[in-house]
Amino acid sequence: MKLQSANAAAASTEASVDAPDDISADAAIVEQAAQWIVQLSADDTDRREAARRGFDAWKQADPRHAATAERLESFVGRVRRMRGADDDKNNARPARVALDAVFSAPGKRRRRTGSHRAKRIVATMLLALSVAVPAWLATKMYPLHYLTADVRSATGQWETRVLEDGTRITLNSASAVNLHYDAGRRALELVQGEILVDVAKDPGRPFIVETAQGSIRALGTRFVVGREADATVLSMLESRVEVRSAKQAVNDDGATIVSASQRVRMTAAGIGAVEQIDARSIADAWKFHQLVVHDQSLPQVLDALDRHRPGVISYDRAALEGIKVSAVLPLDDTGRALQLLNGSFPRLRIRTLSPYLVRVDAPAEP
Amino acid sequence: MHTFYSSHHGWLFGWLRKKLGCSHNAADLAQDTFLRIIASRDALIGMQEPRAYLTTTAKRLMLDRARRQLIEQAYLAELASAAETVGSYPDPAEILLAVEALEQISYALEVVSDNARNAFLLHYLDGRTHAQVAARLGVSMRMVQKYLVQALVKCRLAQA
Repeated sequence: MKLQSANAAAASTEASVDAPDDISADAAIVEQAAQWIVQLSADDTDRREAARRGFDAWKQADPRHAATAERLESFVGRVRRMRGADDDKNNARPARVALDAVFSAPGKRRRRTGSHRAKRIVATMLLALSVAVPAWLATKMYPLHYLTADVRSATGQWETRVLEDGTRITLNSASAVNLHYDAGRRALELVQGEILVDVAKDPGRPFIVETAQGSIRALGTRFVVGREADATVLSMLESRVEVRSAKQAVNDDGATIVSASQRVRMTAAGIGAVEQIDARSIADAWKFHQLVVHDQSLPQVLDALDRHRPGVISYDRAALEGIKVSAVLPLDDTGRALQLLNGSFPRLRIRTLSPYLVRVDAPAEP
Repeated sequence: MHTFYSSHHGWLFGWLRKKLGCSHNAADLAQDTFLRIIASRDALIGMQEPRAYLTTTAKRLMLDRARRQLIEQAYLAELASAAETVGSYPDPAEILLAVEALEQISYALEVVSDNARNAFLLHYLDGRTHAQVAARLGVSMRMVQKYLVQALVKCRLAQA
């Protein structure tokens, strides 16, 4: 294919170098060839037949005719082939969607002019990357509240920040926080993702993590807070915190104390049951950028890997639900993590379709 | 080339990092920019403003990459949703070829007017007849044929 396009480029250079007079002649030839080609696929059978004969005669009249016809027809052929071998109209759909995505990017036309335009178009296209994709991909895109947050980490990146009071926060993949520090309190709003917090002592100003589901008040401490679609998960590593769900805050109920090695889940309904965790392995997992799972379903593990991956991991949840996983997987190399999974579960089929898409399935055994 | 590279690479990397906000991508893109310039050979002779030339090349690369990413993501997303119902995926190698072809088709059609491009894709890609295209666009059959000719004449054919 490379060779072919190189030849085509060489041919066109030769033509234009040849003689300036030929340019208008060339334009006329291209126009005629295009007229013929369009007639070849006219709706009327007789017209198509007549065009076929006329086109053949025209091509034979001059080698330049034949060369131009060949170029145009190969382009048309290339577009047609996107429909696939059986010429089914539905086969063209993915190609159509892809081209529409490019051409619907606003302000995308007329890129032949100046470089400041090119700059604007780059900006528009990069923007288009985040709007013109279907819903299931959109979850990978950064929402506005992420982009405007005070501290954030990119997908697949860890970000550690020491705040002005000495508190250290680590954000894992695609996480974002807003800081609201004032004379009376130190509030950190977890917008999305997951953070590890090492709170610096400041008796005069309590440290509070806030989410839509509630607030967590540190009592000198180290803990992890993660956001899910409509839940906040708190994992205590050291010391204790006071948790108040949004519901408790409304009813003005007392707070719940959560201690080291405990995990709770907050939803709109309040605080769920306390679960025991291995604080040490979670601390290590954060330190070494690992995912530690114990007897979890494969889809849960794939979800976690997916969150750390710029591309998308696609799979059928129902088909993989029955596979249980206990493992320590590298989160900063999700490709390697997938390989490790494949090693433990040879029945899995993991195919890298592109840097952006990995498909995981478990074909039935023959 | 060596002096050109060493005297401008750091500067280009800095410029790209500021623009992209990501040093990994910036390093990658700076590298590719120089590769493209080396491949084009002619550029280095008597270059008046090497940095303007570098940024122009880098911008063009960004545009190409953005286009490719846009096509790839949309194409794969559509395949994935089709696969949910059909239950099978095309061969990865085939997908790669298709994405490459789409990239070239979109590059070729980029300079064609909206109407002509629409008519062209409805007819040649979606396989609709001239009459169907005319009905879809609300124009006469003659106009459809005019659009098709226009698309063929105007597109960048060096790609085909």
